[in-house]
Amino acid sequence: MSILEIKDLKVHYPIRGGIFRTVVDHVRAVDGVNMTIKAGQTYGLVGESGSGKTTMGRAVIGLNHISGGSIKFEGKEIGHVKGRSRFGRDIQMIFQDPYSSLNPKKRVGDIIAEPLRNFEKLSPQEEKKRVHELLEQVGLSPESFLKYPYQFSGGQRQRIGIARAIALRPKLIIADEPVSALDVSVQAQVLNFMREIQRELNLTFLFISHDLGIIRHMCDKIGIMYKGRYVEEGTANDIFESPQHIYTKRLIAAIPDIDPRQREQQVEFRRSVQEEYKEAHQRYFDENGLVYPLKPVSDTHFVALPQKG
Amino acid sequence: MSEDLLKIENLTTSFRIDDDYYAAVDHVSLRVRKNEILAIVGESGSGKSALAYSIMGLHTRAKMEGHIYYGEQDLVEMPANQLNKLRGKDISMIFQDPLSALNPLMTVGRQIEEVILLHQPTSGKAERKRQAIELLNKVGIPRPEVTYLQYPHELSGGMRQRIVIAIAIANGPKLLIADEPTTALDVTIQLQILDLIRELKNDMEAGIILITHDLGVVAEMADRVAVMYAGQIVEIADIYTLVSNAKHPYTKSLLNSIPTVSEVKSKLHVIQGIVPSLKNLPREGCRFAPRIPWIESEKHEAHPEMHEIAEGHFVRCTCYKHFYFPAQSEEDSEHVNS
Repeated sequence: MSILEIKDLKVHYPIRGGIFRTVVDHVRAVDGVNMTIKAGQTYGLVGESGSGKTTMGRAVIGLNHISGGSIKFEGKEIGHVKGRSRFGRDIQMIFQDPYSSLNPKKRVGDIIAEPLRNFEKLSPQEEKKRVHELLEQVGLSPESFLKYPYQFSGGQRQRIGIARAIALRPKLIIADEPVSALDVSVQAQVLNFMREIQRELNLTFLFISHDLGIIRHMCDKIGIMYKGRYVEEGTANDIFESPQHIYTKRLIAAIPDIDPRQREQQVEFRRSVQEEYKEAHQRYFDENGLVYPLKPVSDTHFVALPQKG
Repeated sequence: MSEDLLKIENLTTSFRIDDDYYAAVDHVSLRVRKNEILAIVGESGSGKSALAYSIMGLHTRAKMEGHIYYGEQDLVEMPANQLNKLRGKDISMIFQDPLSALNPLMTVGRQIEEVILLHQPTSGKAERKRQAIELLNKVGIPRPEVTYLQYPHELSGGMRQRIVIAIAIANGPKLLIADEPTTALDVTIQLQILDLIRELKNDMEAGIILITHDLGVVAEMADRVAVMYAGQIVEIADIYTLVSNAKHPYTKSLLNSIPTVSEVKSKLHVIQGIVPSLKNLPREGCRFAPRIPWIESEKHEAHPEMHEIAEGHFVRCTCYKHFYFPAQSEEDSEHVNS
């Protein structure tokens, strides 16, 4: 069953100009994207900076207004609902930077209790009990309750962020670059932990990242964005084993290879991909440098190919 | 074997916290050769940037002991006015964040000319402009004459990093220190910048110290690698040896903890505990010991030293001989391509 269904989503920002500050054009941050996430899945959204992936995530949770299209959560339209009820208890977010997303003046106990106070009427004792449960769940000591964020390392802070996100037992969590501010060893810790709580709480993740290694590790289904549109969508195997669009091929070729013995071949391979990219650029992108609408190449694999090809 | 460009001997850089000095770089010895890329890898807090700043002499308040030989001269002892003649000319640095490394109020052209003027005070205005445009061309800026007149905010992240590189190579440095040069960039742009650095190395035959936490970048670029943990170097080897035959538990753990595209692991290896802060560093014994508690303490040396176990391959402490990963994490990894 699909938990999130996005149809033809558009997020446009007006560009104003001239004497009367009239709207002269729009920045099409997200321009007609469809996305379906099944319950319990991890959906990876990949793209370079400026591709619109973060805007997508923020639109789903209601931090960005949408200009068109629909967002259905469990069959209910949530795209056009205004105000707080929209980012209700079922959808939560894990933010990128664990240093700026936690209020430095609040104690950890209060940070984690905040969503509970907003949505659940708990007595102080119940609330405390619940926060302690959450701390245990994310592997932090009970003493953390009275500490401040600065007393924790990056990985621990990100766990505080996760504890806050899972406090209301949400169904969908949007994780926007949750580990890019962390060191590799800590990154591994947080990623493992995210998978554990996913199994435990039957969570669905929308995982936004630019790191293809992490995306491959975490995700069942992957969408690749470029300039507000989808370039390619498919299972992890579709994307990494048989990328169809030249943009995807180039992106995958650019990932540093951990094996130095492959250096020569890698350079050769990249050169050929780069040449193909230059040659085929005309065919894969329209006159505005945008990609075409998606077309199916298999049951799971969709690629933005020109109409005739 | 090419000659040593830079020889660091027993360098210790300490910072004062309250009334005590704490060593962020602890008895580091290193050599950088001509025309080679030496990568320094480590997590945040390992002291890799502190080491780079020590070489550049950018720590004004720190206590530095030991020697950094550049040719015959010792940079540690050198007075500031002499150091200024070297910095930006023979030795220069590419900084991590191109946005904060550039002056937002000056055009790109003027920022490049500034370094040229500093080290070639007799050069004329027209000559400096010619050089600046040539440099922009060299770092792959498509329309150098246009970019020459632009401000940093008008350029993309990749372009800005190219400008920072142009400034670093303006006076033909013999040693280039690149501190996380691609961390702020997208993969495709990262690739372009790394290609550029490699090209420049071959062009100028410079020695490059590449500081990074990204083992993928290291595997692509480096000739030799030094792995740092808690202020010390724990392993040095050429890149092939390091990737295929790493010895130190820290290096092995790091290699095991990254998710890669070619191999899907069901679980990533997690290094227990955290990198200790400067004040809480264990000053005695093996510094990595607290993070591999399943290795008995007798297996560590009391005063861990670097052992040369093969030519050019150094490992600190003897614990590597007895190191193993605790069960589970290795077994459930599967190769996709096999």
